[in-house]
Amino acid sequence: MEEYQNGSEGSFNSEETDGIVKECIESVVAGDDYSQSQVNKWTASIVERCLTQLVKQGKPYKYIVTCAVMQKTGAGLHTANSCYWDTAMDGSCTVRWENRTMYCVVSVFAVAIA
Amino acid sequence: MEEYNSGDEVVFSADEATSSVKECIEGVIGGTEYNQSKVNQWTASIVEHSLTHLVKQGRPFKYIVNCTIMQKSGAGLHTANSCYWDTATDGSCTVRWENRTMYCVVSVFAVAVPL
Repeated sequence: MEEYQNGSEGSFNSEETDGIVKECIESVVAGDDYSQSQVNKWTASIVERCLTQLVKQGKPYKYIVTCAVMQKTGAGLHTANSCYWDTAMDGSCTVRWENRTMYCVVSVFAVAIA
Repeated sequence: MEEYNSGDEVVFSADEATSSVKECIEGVIGGTEYNQSKVNQWTASIVEHSLTHLVKQGRPFKYIVNCTIMQKSGAGLHTANSCYWDTATDGSCTVRWENRTMYCVVSVFAVAVPL
């Protein structure tokens, strides 16, 4: 694993992460309509970009990024998550984004490396 | 954090987690139809039961359990996940379940805790 910066905050900064994730989503799907043939590519791009940006921060964390894209048709979609970890150091953030034709939900989970 | 069983391998067992999660899903929504007023309760129960079962195994892992339930209506749903971790000790598993009226997708991510 790469070296980490010294002096970084000891806990997860969800606001900063929120901003990073929003930018990544916008850069992949902003202005697009739901397209069945492209959506696999989009979800893969979104998680990859988010992960790259997060790792670039050089903080001592392992990351899990999940992304769900759903076509808007009136169907119900519900998600929940539960975490068993060190609440002082670890954290998560979830970003919900939508446009006229689809919903996109991205969750980032950050687990501190001792 | 609680004490861990000594002598256990510090490698995530995806098979064991998969069957554990399948049981939890069946226990909560097996035999039910999609119901907007209950679905929040269902997703919460599924992640809670799954997490409890995993922690009970007493292995040195932190866990993240994610559950998505979607009504079957012909809409497209795509999910992806990407992980930056230690591929030797950490792992994940995803369980897809469905019945006539809904899909349920549960993902478990396990991150090893240094002993």
